[in-house]
Amino acid sequence: MRLTVNGRDHEIAPAPGERLLTLLNDRLHLPGTKFGCGHGECGACTVLLNNRLAYSCIVLAEACDSATVTTIEGLASAGKLAPLQRAFIAHDAAQCGYCTPGQLVAATHLLARNAAPDEAEIREAMSGNLCRCGTYPKIVTAIAAASRGDFKNMSSETDE
Amino acid sequence: MARQSKRSTARRGRTFVETVVEVEGRTEKRVVELPAFEPAAWKADTALEIVGARVPRMDAHEKVTGRARYTADIALPGMLHALILRSPVAKGNVRSFDATAARAVPGVLDVLATGDAPPDTRLFTGKISYAGQPVGVICAETFEAAAAGARAMAMTFDAAPFAATFEAAVAPDAPLVRSQGNLMADSPMIEGRGDIEAGLRAADVTITREYRTPVQLHSAIEPHGAVAEWNADRVTIWESTQGIFRVREQVAAALGISQSNVRVIKHYMGGGFGAKNGAGAHTYIAALFARRTGRPVRCVLSRRAEQSDSGNRPATIQRVTLGAKKNGTLTAIVLSADIPLGVSGWEGGPAQIYHELYACPNVRTEETFAWVNSSGMQAFRAPGYAEGAFGLESAMNALARELGMDPLALRRRNFTRIDLRRSQKYSGNALRECYDEGARKFGWASREERRQASANPAAPASVVPSSSVASVRRGFGMAAQLWPTGGGPPSYAQVRINNDASIDVLAGTQDLGTGARTVLAQIAAEALGAKLSDVRSIIGDTETLPYAGNSWGSMTTPSVGPAARMAAEDARRLLLEAAAPMFDVQPGDLETKDSRIVVRDTDRSMTFAEVTKSLGDVMIVGRGSRGPNPDDVTIATFGAQFAEVEVDVETGIVRVLRIVAAHDAGRIINPTLAESQLEGGIIQGLGYALFEERILDRATGVQLNADLHDYRIPTMADIPAIDAFFVGTADTVANHTGARGLAEPPIIPTAPAIAAAVADAIGAEMTQIPLTPWRVLGALENQRG
Repeated sequence: MRLTVNGRDHEIAPAPGERLLTLLNDRLHLPGTKFGCGHGECGACTVLLNNRLAYSCIVLAEACDSATVTTIEGLASAGKLAPLQRAFIAHDAAQCGYCTPGQLVAATHLLARNAAPDEAEIREAMSGNLCRCGTYPKIVTAIAAASRGDFKNMSSETDE
Repeated sequence: MARQSKRSTARRGRTFVETVVEVEGRTEKRVVELPAFEPAAWKADTALEIVGARVPRMDAHEKVTGRARYTADIALPGMLHALILRSPVAKGNVRSFDATAARAVPGVLDVLATGDAPPDTRLFTGKISYAGQPVGVICAETFEAAAAGARAMAMTFDAAPFAATFEAAVAPDAPLVRSQGNLMADSPMIEGRGDIEAGLRAADVTITREYRTPVQLHSAIEPHGAVAEWNADRVTIWESTQGIFRVREQVAAALGISQSNVRVIKHYMGGGFGAKNGAGAHTYIAALFARRTGRPVRCVLSRRAEQSDSGNRPATIQRVTLGAKKNGTLTAIVLSADIPLGVSGWEGGPAQIYHELYACPNVRTEETFAWVNSSGMQAFRAPGYAEGAFGLESAMNALARELGMDPLALRRRNFTRIDLRRSQKYSGNALRECYDEGARKFGWASREERRQASANPAAPASVVPSSSVASVRRGFGMAAQLWPTGGGPPSYAQVRINNDASIDVLAGTQDLGTGARTVLAQIAAEALGAKLSDVRSIIGDTETLPYAGNSWGSMTTPSVGPAARMAAEDARRLLLEAAAPMFDVQPGDLETKDSRIVVRDTDRSMTFAEVTKSLGDVMIVGRGSRGPNPDDVTIATFGAQFAEVEVDVETGIVRVLRIVAAHDAGRIINPTLAESQLEGGIIQGLGYALFEERILDRATGVQLNADLHDYRIPTMADIPAIDAFFVGTADTVANHTGARGLAEPPIIPTAPAIAAAVADAIGAEMTQIPLTPWRVLGALENQRG
């Protein structure tokens, strides 16, 4: 099976019943995508699968032949953080950080469809990604700031 | 929470003293080490530049790039996966098991079941006391193979009658939950002051209510988990935990090996909230299999297991009577509470806040703790106080209605400057400022105008209803909070200045997502006069770091913070002693700022790096420890929250529009991170108020909502506008950094504030949370008679 992950091509034989999440974590050594529930309920494992949002914990790996996958590790390019990542740092949009990869992938998808979402659109689009620390207000702020290209609160120290 | 007593001059010259320490309601005597010196307190007006600054979370970069490594994604070469089998019955025995077919599944390496675990782990005894209890475990090459093995495992059970509710457990012919009986020893626990009968006789108005709170589940997004690897007779355990040293102690005891042969590592964790305070079945299982197979083993709980057997906030039934004069002065507070704990737990009941929040001379509480056949409780963010506040604060709001009094005025009337429970002062108490600032920012005094305006479709955007449905009603409510947050010893830290002048803060503590890494670095950088970018916190490893206690009870900043400051002051002293000869001055002539040493009142200076470079491989290590708390003082964090809600009286759906939260936690080391804690507590409190409730099947005792679909935590769509902030100032009595704990307090008043707002909207009291649509409709129905 061929699979493109974060721009790199892989030839890989999926095991029977193997989930895309397991394949990413344990075989491609991309631990950034998180296991939270295994049932598509929490969003911690969110990835872009052929540019659509997918819960990788309920996607069978063998269904991903010829697919293009983007994970949290693919959001920065050439070591430079994406605007959303910078905004998440600047606005303290990660507490424990465990749901953060899924939040960032979902937010990336949102801004790709809607470059200037209002607050209600952000809340609606992001409501499939649970955060038990309650970072939600900061996540909304960070997404809105990134969509405006507002980096004034962002410390250059946090850039790569 | 932690509180020590009796720091006196008699201790001077001694290294160890005995002191009373209180952690989340439990008191114990401990011997603590006195620090060699204590820095003078940073006063409220001390000019600080790094402490108090809104610097970004120092580990945020790892978190937004997916590079932060959590226990659940530690992957080691040759690592095996363990999957726990759980009981489908609430009480009884494992009748039989046959692992032959499971062992034959390709990839399955090992199986443990009845009788296969060391007695000190208390695992797989064959006796069952709750549904979901571990009864066996499969170890396999992959998680999928372990799951196939679990399906092939043949187990049969004998089900016995069980008692899963308080009422069932205390019934005369109840089945025994624990061999010594169904009531916790010392139940009922009774505490009081004054004369209740006289207080009730003196009252002009008396109200009596019964309140019920649900079992709330921690629901951390990273489940409990451990990865274990043995090297000869030593085991390394990566654990998602709030207490690395406690896990080390428990694993060593359970496996019968020395603590020195157990290393516990926790770099990042995906939330704890009180449920991850020690080793669990998953920890012992990972360690046992890793020893048997000679390969690393990962055991991470499934979501179902996380929601059904990883701890919970126990339910309460609280019968409350309040007596008051016409002017609102409280004359009596009486509580009788029933608390079903599960099969294990401790006395973290609702009573404490009843003794502490108000200036009432006559208080009596009685708590009956019962063992029931359900998974054991664990501390959950402000254990006892969140439950107790729902009862006490709801009753205060009912009393205000009865008196025809503003609920805020009632609270101001009963404000207490001192801790009447312990007859001593507070180290600081800005609760009245919380009332004032919270009410001002909320617009409490003008809420009736706001209510009128909200009914007008032409209202300004800021008050316009979210729905134009005619059945929507607007309501406003508030509640107050107190939580003991002193922290205390023992906690140690070191500050190491490397020969390139990079600086490491070393402390065996944990960052749950609270920001401990950032806070400790800020404190050390401030004390040392270093640039924050030169300082890094290294935490979460028992083998290499000095001891710190569990990150529970909002203790980490007030416990480890002073140790980090002292270590940095010690390192600064050594650095200046080394630098003084280079300038041909005395150390006292030198100052530090921005990682630079300056000779006072001159333009002569050197960078830290120039000094350390000339020292070669001499390593400067400053040592710090946390001293005991002051004598005869209660250290607590206070707050008040105000809620605005909409209720649809046709559907019963509650929508929270706004929360304003004002809290006093002494000096705030990093306001941005601290406000994140407030918002997080409020959002968990909103879940407690509106959605969250564990449901057990009455017939089987099996949990019916052991997932994140039917057990509903708040989503981004549920979040109101939150304005959460701090009032108050440095608490120079509490400790020399001036900071008290703050992570738990914000969950305490949220649910009663929301319930009060709902009651205000619909004109009917809400006595049970969560405020589900059917409960709201039920309250309306009862009111109509």
